[in-house]
Amino acid sequence: MTAYSATDSSTAPFMHRWDPRMKLIGLLLLAFTFSFVTNPRVLPVMITLTLAMTAVSRYPFHLLLRRLRYPSLVILCLIILLPFISGLTPVVEWGRLTVTREGLQAAILVATRFFCIVTLAAVLLGTTPLLRTIKAMQALGLPSIMADMALLVVRYLEVLSADLRRMRIAMRLRGHVEQRRPWRNLPTLAWLTGSLILRGYERSQGVYNAMRLRGYGHAPVRSGEFTANRGDLLALAAICAAAGILIWLELTL
Amino acid sequence: MHIPDGILPLPLTLGGYAASITICWLCIRAINKRQDPRADVPKAALLTSAFFVASLIHIPIPPASVHLVLNGLLGALLGVFAFPAILIGLFLQAVMFGHGGLTTLGVNGVILGLPALAAAGFFRLRTHGTSGHIPLPKRTAAFGFLAGFAGIGLSFLLFALILLTGLPTHLSAAAERSAILALGLAHLPLAIMEGLLTGLLAGFLLRVQPAILNGV
Repeated sequence: MTAYSATDSSTAPFMHRWDPRMKLIGLLLLAFTFSFVTNPRVLPVMITLTLAMTAVSRYPFHLLLRRLRYPSLVILCLIILLPFISGLTPVVEWGRLTVTREGLQAAILVATRFFCIVTLAAVLLGTTPLLRTIKAMQALGLPSIMADMALLVVRYLEVLSADLRRMRIAMRLRGHVEQRRPWRNLPTLAWLTGSLILRGYERSQGVYNAMRLRGYGHAPVRSGEFTANRGDLLALAAICAAAGILIWLELTL
Repeated sequence: MHIPDGILPLPLTLGGYAASITICWLCIRAINKRQDPRADVPKAALLTSAFFVASLIHIPIPPASVHLVLNGLLGALLGVFAFPAILIGLFLQAVMFGHGGLTTLGVNGVILGLPALAAAGFFRLRTHGTSGHIPLPKRTAAFGFLAGFAGIGLSFLLFALILLTGLPTHLSAAAERSAILALGLAHLPLAIMEGLLTGLLAGFLLRVQPAILNGV
């Protein structure tokens, strides 16, 4: 996913300029609050909040749809099956198939929670470049070994993807044809994966030497990259209030 | 074998985060005890990138196609770096492709990461015990198969256990049995394929770059 962000512009929507640390805290708080909700009467409030945040972010609708496409297919199977395989109170019966009320409620609950959390994640994380999000996580306490690893993984994903593309083209040019039986392809696949791992392994030594020459492990880690202004803190406070209202509704309705 | 957002209840998702953070903290503590903990970071990161890219390769198994998980192989080659590497991979998959989830990141980390650490332990056994009379290439391939197969097999067990206990509705015992059987049958070919692939790959790496098999 390419981040759709306009952080350089001072006229960009607030969601794009919001301090990534506050954004991450707000996202996790709301996502966990959504997964706490089980009361069907709270679901419309959850959907309204998600739609409001999507509208405020001005995240392009076509990007959001593209973002939802793959995960939607994964969860669709579960939503279709749940009304038939779970619950005890029949609502509709077709021969041996019975749709239950509990199953239907569970399917609606899972679908709503899923779409709300995924939409929020797309909108909040999609409006910040990935590298900046990782640096924000480091500022929030992610161990430096993991932050360094994550930054390097992102940096070399494209390089190794290009390597894989080239190797597959070279294989086809040398006459490789995929066999119908999958196990016949396994040795070729193993050499291909092995070659990719070897390229990564051999490149890593050069990368480490280059990093050492540039002071890796010696220079102090910059700590003042992020500063939260009053607007950032107010937005986080609003998210906390929304989460509090959702929890209150869940417990009282 | 990724559980998406929205399915599991809050106690399970928070428990998953607590378990993942604890295991990750133990792994990082082990890494920090090394003479130069940062020296292996680029190696682990580039291998993680390679695994991430390789896991996007689809293998046609009619009528569908599967993609490799490679957590067993990752455990075998990365050792204690495997768990943090898997967490990073899962985070990137969730952010870049929407695969998996943010609230389920901890649970998915446990599902894929713990078996990777177990696979690392199994793979290390190739240099111990009474198997010295078996030639090294065969031993490496056999323990590679074990690591790959165990990686998927244990992940499947954790996945089925967490998914079925975490569903927000009651499943009958018969439905649970059928679901486990169906999921198990669907994952068995993948486990065998990953085992075979990891065995073949371990043999390949032993021939061309044996140092890589000693772990990061």
